[in-house]
Amino acid sequence: MELNPFQKDALAEFGNIGAAHAATTLSQMLMSPIEMTVPEVLAIDIADLHNHISNEISAMVVFQIQGEVADGGYVVVSMPRETVIQLTNQMLGTTDTDREINEMDQSAAIEIGNIMISAFLDATAELLGIVMLPSPPALAIDMAHAAFESIVAQVAGDVNDVLIFNTELTSEAPPVYGSIYMLPNAELTQQLFLMLERMMEPLS
Amino acid sequence: MENNFFGEETAIILGLGELRVGKCPMGTIGLGSCIALILHDQRRSLAGLAHIMLPESRGVTDRPGKFADTAMCALLEEMVELGSTKSSITAIVVGGASMFEFSANSLNIGERNAAVVKELLQEQGIRIEHEETGGKIGRSVYYWPEGKGRLIIKRADGTCIAL
Repeated sequence: MELNPFQKDALAEFGNIGAAHAATTLSQMLMSPIEMTVPEVLAIDIADLHNHISNEISAMVVFQIQGEVADGGYVVVSMPRETVIQLTNQMLGTTDTDREINEMDQSAAIEIGNIMISAFLDATAELLGIVMLPSPPALAIDMAHAAFESIVAQVAGDVNDVLIFNTELTSEAPPVYGSIYMLPNAELTQQLFLMLERMMEPLS
Repeated sequence: MENNFFGEETAIILGLGELRVGKCPMGTIGLGSCIALILHDQRRSLAGLAHIMLPESRGVTDRPGKFADTAMCALLEEMVELGSTKSSITAIVVGGASMFEFSANSLNIGERNAAVVKELLQEQGIRIEHEETGGKIGRSVYYWPEGKGRLIIKRADGTCIAL
């Protein structure tokens, strides 16, 4: 799958709207400003995935895209361990950062993922004029690449490349860092292209 | 990403769905539900590694390494071409973890992957020398085909085994 610059821009804008909404909800939750990067859109060959997804131990909260596009792919919030601990501390008012991940952290990661991804899908679905809903979340705290493999296995059974939207969110206080990924399946990818084409048609 | 994670610079890191037969060190980084299938011929210091993503190809053949059935055929074929006989080949199977909690759905494909790979090995009459499958943990695998072969599995919790 080759993306032309035009498609890339349009898809980035699409991701931008979703990520901006997710960042806003996170910012409200933490009561602190959140910085976000301009979303990167990449068509990655599956054999190349390990050059894009790190092997750092991360918490990955994964949602399947449901609604009008059945099994439309996955959206993922990925945060390094330290960020999860920071976020739990922030929400519970505790300060210990030098500890292992516990059940409370798992719940916090899932809850934060839930809120962010709901905002992400709401905003992007509105743009598409369709309904997209997140499935109940699944969580893995492990090598990011290892968790990603399982997701890619679900969307790339028949194709050899995946479309990945990636936005990074950061905040200074508390020091948190996270990424949002969206991996549409082949069908939703086609739908995205169609929609973008329509949007680019001159008004008549 | 760094791909000389065991301090070995000549390593070939195989991505999702790739396979390779040769005498050089090979590895995969961050195995989740996927399987690293290693076939080893001690007599020839030759090994093949496939980074398998799904159990069945259902007729898709453009990336043999991606599926258990096509990967098995491709590895064996290539090794036999290089002089190996089936009876001198042993296997190592690593991976097939179920990474996600709170998930009853298809994300946990690992178990099925491992089961199919082992079935296929049995069909071919290939002995499994070492197996580490299942669980909930990511793994990186590294293999040196020379002589008896040397295997390192590095798990996400930081533990390592070397054989």
